[in-house]
Amino acid sequence: MGMLIRDILEESAKKFADIKAVKWLEKKEILERSYSELMDNVVILRKGLLAEGFSGKHIALIGVSSVEWIESYLSIITGNTVAVPLDAGLPCEDLIDLINRSDSEALFLSPKNIALLDGILAQCPKLKKIWILQEEEVEVSDERVACLAVLKAAGKSDSADSDRPAPENIATIIYTSGTTGKSKGVMLTQNNIATNVEYVNYTTEPGSVLLSVLPIHHAFCLVMDWLKGFSLGTTICINDSLLHMVKNMGVFKPQVMLMVPMMIETIYKRLASADPAIPKKVLADNVFGGNLKIIFSGGAHLDPYYIDKFAEYGVDVFEGYGMSECSPVISNNTPEDHKAGSIGRPLANAEVAFKDGEILVKGSSVMKGYYKMPEETAETLKDGWLHTGDKGYIDDDGYLFINGRVKNLIILSNGENISPEEIENKLALNPLVGEVIVTGENNGLTARIYPDQDVVQAKGLDEEIIHKSLQEFLDQYNKNQPTYRQITGLVVRKNPFIRSSTKKIKRQEALIDEAVLPTA
Amino acid sequence: MTKEMQFKTIVAQYCEVKPEDMNNDMRFREDLGFSSLDFMSFLGELEDTFDVELEEQEALKVLTVGQALDLLEKL
Repeated sequence: MGMLIRDILEESAKKFADIKAVKWLEKKEILERSYSELMDNVVILRKGLLAEGFSGKHIALIGVSSVEWIESYLSIITGNTVAVPLDAGLPCEDLIDLINRSDSEALFLSPKNIALLDGILAQCPKLKKIWILQEEEVEVSDERVACLAVLKAAGKSDSADSDRPAPENIATIIYTSGTTGKSKGVMLTQNNIATNVEYVNYTTEPGSVLLSVLPIHHAFCLVMDWLKGFSLGTTICINDSLLHMVKNMGVFKPQVMLMVPMMIETIYKRLASADPAIPKKVLADNVFGGNLKIIFSGGAHLDPYYIDKFAEYGVDVFEGYGMSECSPVISNNTPEDHKAGSIGRPLANAEVAFKDGEILVKGSSVMKGYYKMPEETAETLKDGWLHTGDKGYIDDDGYLFINGRVKNLIILSNGENISPEEIENKLALNPLVGEVIVTGENNGLTARIYPDQDVVQAKGLDEEIIHKSLQEFLDQYNKNQPTYRQITGLVVRKNPFIRSSTKKIKRQEALIDEAVLPTA
Repeated sequence: MTKEMQFKTIVAQYCEVKPEDMNNDMRFREDLGFSSLDFMSFLGELEDTFDVELEEQEALKVLTVGQALDLLEKL
């Protein structure tokens, strides 16, 4: 049996004890934590969770990347507890739903998200404890709420430590968009994630600098930035905000970064708009910080154009492929082994097959199933084969290529998977919306709406008022959504959508017959 | 270069509209084709160029060129 995450971390804490594991910015000053300091904190938090009676329980985390977040996460997955990382950008009601559906009994909450506290306390009856991710005491009167120092005090060094988790134990539940509109909790075992860390074929010198810019609740960031990075003795630097991604490349001077295509596209706009008289090397040093050599791209398809363009600036971009259900990497290009346009060779622990063109995956990183969703699990996992929902093929040299999708999910270039039905159901609540289809284009979402003709006639609305009313409705809807779920395009149709014989809207034909009302 | 023109030159990096053709009613995402990340990167560039610190949640509520200019004026 190979090593699990607890073994990997313990080995790194010994081998790289004095190397900096994490660096971050606080009031423009760089703070840092060594591998041995990080591990000390992880152990004491883990003992604290045991002392507080959470052995075997599910524990949620809400917050953006921080050293406290990752230490807490590691304390959960290295013990006999299950971590449920949630997207801090979701509306409060969605987070409450996920805390309840995941059966979480404790929560780590970032101080930046403290505004969520009242709603969560009122509507999550299973939660016994909420620890705010800070050492300083918190001024909240509810006895369920405490700071990290309290949990650490409960887990002082001479107290009992939790048993080592077994390979088949669930380590983490990661929520991902479902095609039916309800997000699904992907259950990943200890062995799932440890083998993904082990089989991704990349190595680097201990102390190499990585800047983590992806959302930490995503499997790609969690497993590849953090767990893979820790296994190699990497110094992982935290990007404090996407506003400062380029500036922070200058601050931390990373050698390697993991990105989604949208980040690569945005950075390229900066490179391409610069004065052509500036030598490319000078510009690259200015934008990338001077040391960046490798970007691993995942989460969505990257146009190979950017790979060629970034090479002109001395940065190699390697595309990979994966999904939360596979912990997450299925295949990837590496500096030693890559082919343009492909998503690399499958990992050595991933067997790949095809059924009607759909990519199927089997292996030690394939999830155990969706939490409390047996039907969805049975649809996706058949005889141990995971049905990815993507179409593709393997060429004669063994490289995997993607050429389409089977499932009805929109994959944006920031790697977010969007269920159009989930949004359509919410938009359809507006009385003026007769029929609605959400499509993904130009890196964003567009709502294509056929107004309810009864409402139009009853209120005597003209085209301009219809468009204005719908745009105001979308602006209001967007206010409560994370940026990736906002609707940035509106098409008001003059004709109803084409329907099938069973009266369902033909989604593939949503753009047909699209005579539209003129925009206001 | 005026502050407004400097601002619009930064905007123009992320879209195909020239600074002189921009008007204050144009929406970043819908009219200028900014991705969500383009917009965040743009806000970061405003901070660097004009040496200001934006309150992120407030800044992300901005929809139009005019609103962004107003925000900048208030700092």
